[in-house]
Amino acid sequence: MKMDRKKPDLQQEALKNHPFGVPEGYFEGFAERLQQRIKEEESSKVPVRKIGTVTRWMAAAAAVLAAALITTSIIRYTTSESAEGLYPDMALLEQMQVLDDDRYLYELLGEEVAAELDEDEAFATQAIEYLAINDVEMDLIFE
Amino acid sequence: MQEWDDREIIEGSKIQGKEEIAFNHLVVKYQERLYWHIRKIVIDHDDTDDVLQNTMIKIWRSLSSFRSESGLYTWLYRIATNEALSFLKQKKKKAFAPWVDVEGQMSESLEADPWFSGDEIQLKLQQAILKLPEKQRIVFNMKYFDQVKYEEMSEILGTSVGALKASYHHAVKKIEAMLEKD
Repeated sequence: MKMDRKKPDLQQEALKNHPFGVPEGYFEGFAERLQQRIKEEESSKVPVRKIGTVTRWMAAAAAVLAAALITTSIIRYTTSESAEGLYPDMALLEQMQVLDDDRYLYELLGEEVAAELDEDEAFATQAIEYLAINDVEMDLIFE
Repeated sequence: MQEWDDREIIEGSKIQGKEEIAFNHLVVKYQERLYWHIRKIVIDHDDTDDVLQNTMIKIWRSLSSFRSESGLYTWLYRIATNEALSFLKQKKKKAFAPWVDVEGQMSESLEADPWFSGDEIQLKLQQAILKLPEKQRIVFNMKYFDQVKYEEMSEILGTSVGALKASYHHAVKKIEAMLEKD
């Protein structure tokens, strides 16, 4: 729509028609394209699983029970450790030996026992070194 | 397909098995009016198509719960206006820099738009409209091009009739000044 005028006047009726256009057949195909998009969006939705009231209560009870068990275990472990710290039991010592944590073991046994163990070990080492230098069969000694 | 009136569309949307038919009637009845309303706000055809689809999807999802407190036509216009304004807001965010003039870009793109069929005067008018503040622009478009009554506009935009009249008056003065200057 072309207008014969140089100066625009907002009162002119022709100016009140908007000057936009659309591709041919746009409105005829719009509803179909829209339906297609709605179907695509609905089929791609991830179904949300609803949790029932009973399940929700059971889950809450399980969580409370688990929390109580963990708390009790922590309290029992920390209190038993502090009470028995002065008198290490044999099971604990065996466990320590398996782990070969000698330094911690010596601390538990006391300085005298630790020194004794050190002397024995030093003697054994010297003996093995001596035998090795003099070509003595190790298997014969340890039999 | 015989056109349904608004009451039939609203009632149909609440009946199981009839929702889709009711919605189809609504789309066919209102698609053009909503399209032109959105087009005047976002200008570009492809952007308008996106916004119109989003508007219709929102309408589809909430049509069954529509309470008829306002007219269907008013409700649809309100959703379309909000969608168009949200779209512009997103566009401004995507521009990253606050000084990027989105309206200015829209104004420039008008000249190259294959779906703009206006002459030089109409181009100048559209470019002047794009320089208005967003709300004033909507008010001007609704009154000047669509002759929407102030009372209806008030319901759609949630603004008093007095404020709308003042807004339109200011818009006209600004546009006239801009056109005179050019």
